[in-house]
Amino acid sequence: MWDGLVIGGGLAGLTAGIRALERGKKILIVSEGVGSLAFAGGVLDFGRVRELRRLEKHPYAYVGEAAQRAFSYFLQHNPAYTGTWGRQGSVLTPLGTLRETEILPRRLDASPLFKANRIVVAVPEGLKDFFPEIVKANLQKQFPSGSVRLKRLSVQEFADWRAAGKSIPGTVYAEFWGTERGKTALKRYIGEIAGEIAGKTAGEADSEAIVFPGLPAIGCPELEEVLGETSLPVVGMTSFPPSAIGLALYDSLTRKVKALGGELLNGVGVDRVEVESTWARRAIIRSKGKETALRAEAFVLATGGFLGRGLIATPAEVKETVFGLPLYVPPVRGGSSFLGEQPYARTGVEVDDRLRPRDPATGEVLLENVFVAGRILAHWDPWLEHCGGGVSLSSGLLAGELL
Amino acid sequence: MKGTWERMHTQIQSGEQDGPLTERTPEAVGDDSLQVETRGLTVEDSVHLDACVKCSICTAHCPVAQAYAPFPGPKSIGPDAERLRLEGVELDPGCLAYCTNCKTCEVVCPSGVRITDMILRARRRQGSTGTESAEGWLRIRDHILGRAEYLGRLGTVWPGLTNAVLAWKVTRRLLAKTIGISADAPLPEYKRRFFPKKGSAGNKVVYFPGCFVNYNDEATGLMVIKVLEHNGFEVVVPGFHCCGVPLTANGRFREAEGNARRNLALMEPYLEQGIPVLTSCTSCGLALKEDYPKVQVPVAKRIGVQTYDLFEYLWLLHERGELKEDFQPVGLSLAYHAPCHLKAQGIGTPSLRIFRLIPGVKVEELDAGCCGLSGSFGFKAEKYELSLQIGRHLFQRVRQGMREGNFRAVITECGGCQVQIRHGSGAQSLHPVWILAQAYGLAGKTE
Repeated sequence: MWDGLVIGGGLAGLTAGIRALERGKKILIVSEGVGSLAFAGGVLDFGRVRELRRLEKHPYAYVGEAAQRAFSYFLQHNPAYTGTWGRQGSVLTPLGTLRETEILPRRLDASPLFKANRIVVAVPEGLKDFFPEIVKANLQKQFPSGSVRLKRLSVQEFADWRAAGKSIPGTVYAEFWGTERGKTALKRYIGEIAGEIAGKTAGEADSEAIVFPGLPAIGCPELEEVLGETSLPVVGMTSFPPSAIGLALYDSLTRKVKALGGELLNGVGVDRVEVESTWARRAIIRSKGKETALRAEAFVLATGGFLGRGLIATPAEVKETVFGLPLYVPPVRGGSSFLGEQPYARTGVEVDDRLRPRDPATGEVLLENVFVAGRILAHWDPWLEHCGGGVSLSSGLLAGELL
Repeated sequence: MKGTWERMHTQIQSGEQDGPLTERTPEAVGDDSLQVETRGLTVEDSVHLDACVKCSICTAHCPVAQAYAPFPGPKSIGPDAERLRLEGVELDPGCLAYCTNCKTCEVVCPSGVRITDMILRARRRQGSTGTESAEGWLRIRDHILGRAEYLGRLGTVWPGLTNAVLAWKVTRRLLAKTIGISADAPLPEYKRRFFPKKGSAGNKVVYFPGCFVNYNDEATGLMVIKVLEHNGFEVVVPGFHCCGVPLTANGRFREAEGNARRNLALMEPYLEQGIPVLTSCTSCGLALKEDYPKVQVPVAKRIGVQTYDLFEYLWLLHERGELKEDFQPVGLSLAYHAPCHLKAQGIGTPSLRIFRLIPGVKVEELDAGCCGLSGSFGFKAEKYELSLQIGRHLFQRVRQGMREGNFRAVITECGGCQVQIRHGSGAQSLHPVWILAQAYGLAGKTE
């Protein structure tokens, strides 16, 4: 018998699990795969919490003060990150445009670029999904008063990748920068840039900045030592999925789960949960060869939205995949503007202020010991409201306290 | 290395053209395993193929793809290439042979795509025309390595002599030169063959020891039996054959199925009485749960349901209140490595849960990925270095933990992982049953 069974291993599920484990609960997290963190760039958007909280049925309206608590909680547990409640920071997108967010890895903080009048963009040879010319053009557009130049960085180690005719994945590069040889190569490269500057314009070094794609922005303290020693600010970049930073965040959260004595069961989805009246009793998972029944006092449902497959849409209906909960589904699913409002995004499970699922038609609480967290919640749109990380963290934290 | 990549795109002439997928019904494809050898996909297969959203998470987690540039990764040789294969374009078998079948891709996939099923199906199809290793002498090597059982029978006739001969540098150099078995690879030593004595009567369980216990680690097998007997069971050990995993890994699919049939025949009377089959090797366990149910014999439908990993079964007993928990305190700090084929079973880490019931056991999960050995993969001359490269994260974590005095031994279910961890990090590595044995006060009698 588990104290809590968390269904879903993304940001919300892992946060719920960690919080409950800290409270001394026996927790098992079951997840179909590794969760969507690896698709995300590793920055966490909170959005305009105070305004969103006023929207009827928005998740922020239910989690209340847990949003600010989740903000501090995350920063406290993840020292590689930075952020100030109520303020935004900037990071570079993989294409070199600026984007605002609330919690970001320190290494990605783009603020040095605003002070720089010369930007050097490192071009690690063969780095996958990195487009130096586009990045340069975008930086030039955003910082018209400064100059932007590209500087190649050739690494011997990847000869076999080149021979195979393949570009080098960000994850492979990220690991390399943490090795002794990687650190040496990086030091030499930054030293070269510093030397070039010193040769040209003595005394103006503080107006230079280096943009460096593919750095392991979190989870690599050795590298931070090297970068801390240089006089030039080095600004990392977010990347396309699968993102090394998203994966590193996932790794650090799952390690925390295990260090606290929790267990993570990946690669199996929950097939169904047996319910008696309004109480969930046993989750049935599809182990190899047979089904395994997992009994728990309480459950967290954090299976994600359409991407995480917590929700499945067919032409006829939208289904919640574990409990078959009734959903809020907007009357019109699509919007005419591609990047504008898309009502389907607000599809999900309606809850009460203890995150328990409610029937959208009657408002009645359907399950007493199930707490819903993350993307599967109804009445919000992470893309339009820029609050994906904030809703997942705060509802996850709250669920972890209710377990 | 460039060659591998280019060869990937070489079209191999195909036989008859298959009809469009949508016109196939499950009945038309049937359950006949021969169909698997054609390009016939079942409706379920096509669902898996369409479920892949090309997110590349599998390749980002693939131990081989991250360590070996020419390997295209599970997404490319699995669901991507599957669409080409349906059009008659086959990949270079040498490229497919770099898949170690660790199943990490399937464990991390958020969409439930059966990636290694696709890869194995392709390897199986190519098995009749080409082989895993292109050159003749490597084919002989694969032929030998697939037969862990016969090697074991031979090696255990006079284990002392076999080990001595295998320890000679001359022998190893010769093996490397002639048939491509790496001179540095950690070939496990042979021990006395596992012959359990008939124990006391009680509720019956069947124990499937597997080749590692049978030929390389008799003591662990005997301890598994003692622990089960301590819990009041009568342990039956029929004269099983190799589960078939080494054969599959070396492209001998038909022989692997033959072994499965023979083992199922031995299990049949017990399965029909509802008696559970327990494994202490996670790869045998996975084969029994995942591959055996596909064999076309009536009893096969019972094997998946009735097979348990030893600790999965013990945990079940604990939940039912039937596990003996007369544990003596065991003052031990341990590291735990979860074998890939345990993760693939989808049962979590039951040995860790049992450890937490034992007073005094402090255990840290290493969580550092695959050890890299993958059965006989790491024994092969051309793959030995790669296998160490794959295991580098694990070895680093083990060495660091040992240096800092956090633990003194690494616990893991898989015999292959144990051998590789010892080889790569120098740490002592053993099966979790030994910790339980110590807690029960059984360990002293056999050691």
